[in-house]
Amino acid sequence: MNNAFYITAQELAQKGFENTPEELLSAKHLIYSSPATLAFNSPGAQGFGVKRAGLAIPGSVMLLVSPGCCGRNTTMQSRLCGYQDRFFYLLLDDTDIVTGRHLTKIPEAVKEVYEFCDKKPSAVMICITCVDALLGTDMERVSRKCEELAGVPVVPCYMYALTREKKLPPMAAVRKAVYSLLEPQKRHSDSMNILGHFAPLNDDCEMYELLTKAGIKHIREISRCEDFEEYKKMSQANFNLVINSEARYAAQQMEETLGIPFIEMMRMYHIGKIHNQYMSLANAIGVEFDDGEHFEKTKKAINEFKDKYGELNFAIGEFLNADSFELAWALLTYGFSVSEIYGTVGERNFVFVKAIAKLSPETKIFSNLSPTMLDYEPSGKAIDVCIGNDAGYYHAGVPTVDWNEERQPFGYAGVRLLFEQLDRALKGEGK
Amino acid sequence: MKNLLKLLSPFAPDQSGAVGVLYELGGLVVICDAGGCAGNICGFDEPRWFTKKSAVFSAGLRDMDAILGRDDKLIEKTARAVGQVDVKFTAVVGTPVPAVIATDYRALKRMAENKTSLPAMCVDCTGTRLYDDGEERAYLELFKTFAIEKYETVRGKVGIIGCTPLATGYMTEKIFKGYFGDDAVCFGMGSGIDEIKRASECEKNIVVSTGGIKAAEYMKQQFGIPYETAFPVTDAMENALGHDLDGKKILVVHQQFAANKMRKMLEDRFSCTVDVGTFFKLFDEYKRDGDVYIPDEEKLVEKVLDGGYDAVIIDNICNRALKEFTGELIDLAHFAVSGRLDENGGQVCLL
Repeated sequence: MNNAFYITAQELAQKGFENTPEELLSAKHLIYSSPATLAFNSPGAQGFGVKRAGLAIPGSVMLLVSPGCCGRNTTMQSRLCGYQDRFFYLLLDDTDIVTGRHLTKIPEAVKEVYEFCDKKPSAVMICITCVDALLGTDMERVSRKCEELAGVPVVPCYMYALTREKKLPPMAAVRKAVYSLLEPQKRHSDSMNILGHFAPLNDDCEMYELLTKAGIKHIREISRCEDFEEYKKMSQANFNLVINSEARYAAQQMEETLGIPFIEMMRMYHIGKIHNQYMSLANAIGVEFDDGEHFEKTKKAINEFKDKYGELNFAIGEFLNADSFELAWALLTYGFSVSEIYGTVGERNFVFVKAIAKLSPETKIFSNLSPTMLDYEPSGKAIDVCIGNDAGYYHAGVPTVDWNEERQPFGYAGVRLLFEQLDRALKGEGK
Repeated sequence: MKNLLKLLSPFAPDQSGAVGVLYELGGLVVICDAGGCAGNICGFDEPRWFTKKSAVFSAGLRDMDAILGRDDKLIEKTARAVGQVDVKFTAVVGTPVPAVIATDYRALKRMAENKTSLPAMCVDCTGTRLYDDGEERAYLELFKTFAIEKYETVRGKVGIIGCTPLATGYMTEKIFKGYFGDDAVCFGMGSGIDEIKRASECEKNIVVSTGGIKAAEYMKQQFGIPYETAFPVTDAMENALGHDLDGKKILVVHQQFAANKMRKMLEDRFSCTVDVGTFFKLFDEYKRDGDVYIPDEEKLVEKVLDGGYDAVIIDNICNRALKEFTGELIDLAHFAVSGRLDENGGQVCLL
């Protein structure tokens, strides 16, 4: 039996980001897509991958142009997520993938799909995959031909897994794609967009209240747009608020083409940092936010949870609505223990690794994707509760909060919801 | 338009079939992809992924690896993993990426053997073909690589080729042993690579799915082991017999050998006429007049509507393509079509 590779937070902080061990770098080893990691390592298995995300434009349908293998898991999505009438497939054969002759068939296929739909789609998203990445397909040109023939907007989506570590990885590219049909129009000072996810923030998120009190009347998210007309109003926004860095490129594109500037915030679980971010946002848009009540309410919820359960020991995964390392650091500052983290260390979150090292130097950091995780066995200090479906996989039987719902937690309300779910899990009402 | 699916989703591809054959054999299986194929295979087409660990990994290819043909990097990663997990051989399974760049699998095999000192094999899959093609290639390569020694024949020992969840809807060998006898060995299901090595001990092989025929033929030529085709009686088949099908004309759609078994059961129970249709391989030796290969959803609709059938026994995921059919649609799950296992009562296998 081999042991799963890990490094302590202290060791990693001392080495520095540049000397991150190769076992933590997915480009340096084979990738283990364990049941713990499938959903985020191969988006599409669950949640929003490129295919489902590409359908964020209200009323759109998707034509997946690929070998059959690329559309296989869509069988499940279609069945379980109600997308049966929105996915279509043009399957490539051996000759297509070598010669690229399929490109000439796409306009006709789009036309046939359009004519097939009883309710005419607002747009046809064409999703292409690794094959076309290697063939160097100019899908913009093909899309224009499709538009001419079918008379419907056609937008390319690039599901190029081969480029996932490039500047514009697939999930960033698809965010650009879904806002690409917006056209310039007069901007309204009382309108703004929240960009980042394909499902809305939870309704009780204080963000809505704070912005509304500051005079914003129209807060738009693509997933709340009921139809294409509503979607088109997103270009009326005075500014975009980016709450997921994968939407940054989309925001940059909207700044260039629509003149809408953007501000970026990060989802955090440290309430002091949440406060700081809100103050920065208020300052940036020239208003004042009073988040004192939300801050105190959240602080009280954390304290009550801690009084009830004491210094729990957490294991934190990465298939969750959080940055694993920021969440771990926040929990440590609240006085809990975190003995294991399964996550991907990057330049952006290394600052939290350093912060964790100061508070909990022995915290073990694993890479979900390392082949050595095949032999992972729990050891060391017993885990009381897990956050993340993947952490729960490693610690079967331990109370677990999946924390990966499609509705997005954010801000103080997100922190409170997390502790509510932890409470439920520890009472045996969850997993 | 040919190859345009408007009502059905793609079926399990060859790479899933190949991995399904190798899954339980104790090797290190490298899916030569960027990550998405491995996710599809493990997350959807391999139900054992959630109950039985196996060293199946993605190569994690990136664009420059493909463009520059960095096979040495892949072998480096493979050798490193061999040092980290206990495995008896390595296997590389192809996907569209190596198909586009024309990866030299023979060279890859040699490089892997030299670097790891373990036996190696490669299965040339492209992602454009169907699961039984991948199974066929994997079984054949497996027996050619490992079943090289002639062992003394063990009286009564039967080898079952083609037991995979994709083809049969079962994840364990129980149903096959129950049907074919406890002495039967299901290659790749409940048995490891040693049974493949000793495959020449078998007195007879039974092929339960179309992907196994070529390997059985190879074993016949190499070691003189005869083979036949068969399929066990499953709960889903018994359920289909619960319908009143007397005097009816019926179409059964599944993989050929499961469909043939269903036909036999129907004919034994009812006075009826039965044709077999399949989206997968259709061997002339095992078909009758009226049996048909169905290449796509258009042909399915055409066959069902124009065939004069009173009933169609088919995976119910296909029902939405058959809305205009006025006869009876009876469910017979096929995992490679819908991801529904017979073993769990026809439920979709989920994370």
